[in-house]
Amino acid sequence: MIQIKNVSKWFGDFQVLRDINEQVKEGQTVVVCGPSGSGKSTLLRCINGLEPFQKGEITVDGVSVGDRATNLYKLRTEIGMVFQRFELYPHMTALQNITLAPMKVRNRPKKKAQDHAMRLLERVGIPEKANEYPANLSGGQQQRVAIARSLAMEPKIMMFDEPTSALDPEMIKEVLEVMIDLAKGGMTMIVVTHEMGFAREVADEIIFMDEGTIIERGTDINFFQNPKSPRTKDFLDKILI
Amino acid sequence: MFDAVVNNLPFLMGGFWVTVKLMFFALAGGIPLGILVGLGRISRKRWVYYPVTLYVNVIRNIPLILVIFWFYFVMPIIIGRPLDPFPSAVISFIIFEATYFGEIIRAGYQSVSKGQIEAGYSTGLTYIQTTRYILVPIALRRMLPSMITQSIVTYQDTCLAFVIGLPEFIRRARIVDTLEVRSIQLFGFVAIVFLITCYIGSVMSRRFEVKEQEGG
Repeated sequence: MIQIKNVSKWFGDFQVLRDINEQVKEGQTVVVCGPSGSGKSTLLRCINGLEPFQKGEITVDGVSVGDRATNLYKLRTEIGMVFQRFELYPHMTALQNITLAPMKVRNRPKKKAQDHAMRLLERVGIPEKANEYPANLSGGQQQRVAIARSLAMEPKIMMFDEPTSALDPEMIKEVLEVMIDLAKGGMTMIVVTHEMGFAREVADEIIFMDEGTIIERGTDINFFQNPKSPRTKDFLDKILI
Repeated sequence: MFDAVVNNLPFLMGGFWVTVKLMFFALAGGIPLGILVGLGRISRKRWVYYPVTLYVNVIRNIPLILVIFWFYFVMPIIIGRPLDPFPSAVISFIIFEATYFGEIIRAGYQSVSKGQIEAGYSTGLTYIQTTRYILVPIALRRMLPSMITQSIVTYQDTCLAFVIGLPEFIRRARIVDTLEVRSIQLFGFVAIVFLITCYIGSVMSRRFEVKEQEGG
């Protein structure tokens, strides 16, 4: 589904990504962890073309992201993205947040888009908040609306950029439950997170990034129990306590 | 009690009408020019950004009264013929207020989080759709109260056209005062008219602020 080959990226003189290689197969969930500044978010942003990269190739469902001829707008309809700070549109209700893209990009009739949005809100557990503005929702509720907003485009892939980092502890669970449900439902997912409980439960692969490179990868059990590099061990010790 | 006002009411209200016209033209020119200034201030093109920034910084650091003087007394020397006070005042106000409106527009634009724009892109919205449905509505909501406040300030600023002899509200009150010697009631009347009209404006502004909070 997603192929990342020898990707490097620079911000000016600073190299954020160094020769990244990774494959995500359909239906897989890949968890990306690592210290801040390691290039995790940048990698996600390169995959849906929000950031350009200078070297290498990324293909999503056979389409090359870096190719100038690629219609990035169309590509992005296939890739949902959930942000750390939710980024709901503050001037729209939860329902309007969800229906905007289906109506404008897919030209769905309003009624149809709203029905679909209501089903998604039920799926994330907050149908009663449909007509609330984001300012009146808790962080956890906002993030669940943001997930529903991405799902409304019926993407083939969902990317999550530290979706629970800005949440109070008691709200993390409600968001993770929605994500676990998605992963178990067969969605292809790339999740940047430090929630190792989530990784244990649904990750098909965990990759550890530091200073722009993937320094360790593994399926859950061997990743947690015997990390090969001291850097990974050190990091895991800190986040697993 | 209000004899001087009542006896000269048409003359005084004629001055008020001049003030209202001044405000109307100042806003009709100042806001569109302000939009261009605001866009110039967020432009990544250096040849746009630097001249516009220079213009904004120069004008905002000069008292309005000087801009009015300059335009009225210096322009005729440059263009070789005298200017009427009214168009001269209007142009001065447009040049001056556009810098303030421009800064409000710049701040409103910059208040929209980059993440909200990217959220739009990530769902497949195009640049134009993102601008139209996300950037502009959010920015507009945030700047509306300041725009109304600045419009009220512009309205009050129009009094300064007094200095180049424009027979606006205050100047006419003063003319009547020299004849009737009723300073308290005449200037009291002018103050009350300004108070009422500006108060209406500030109530409107506050209504939009409340709406903004409700709408998130």
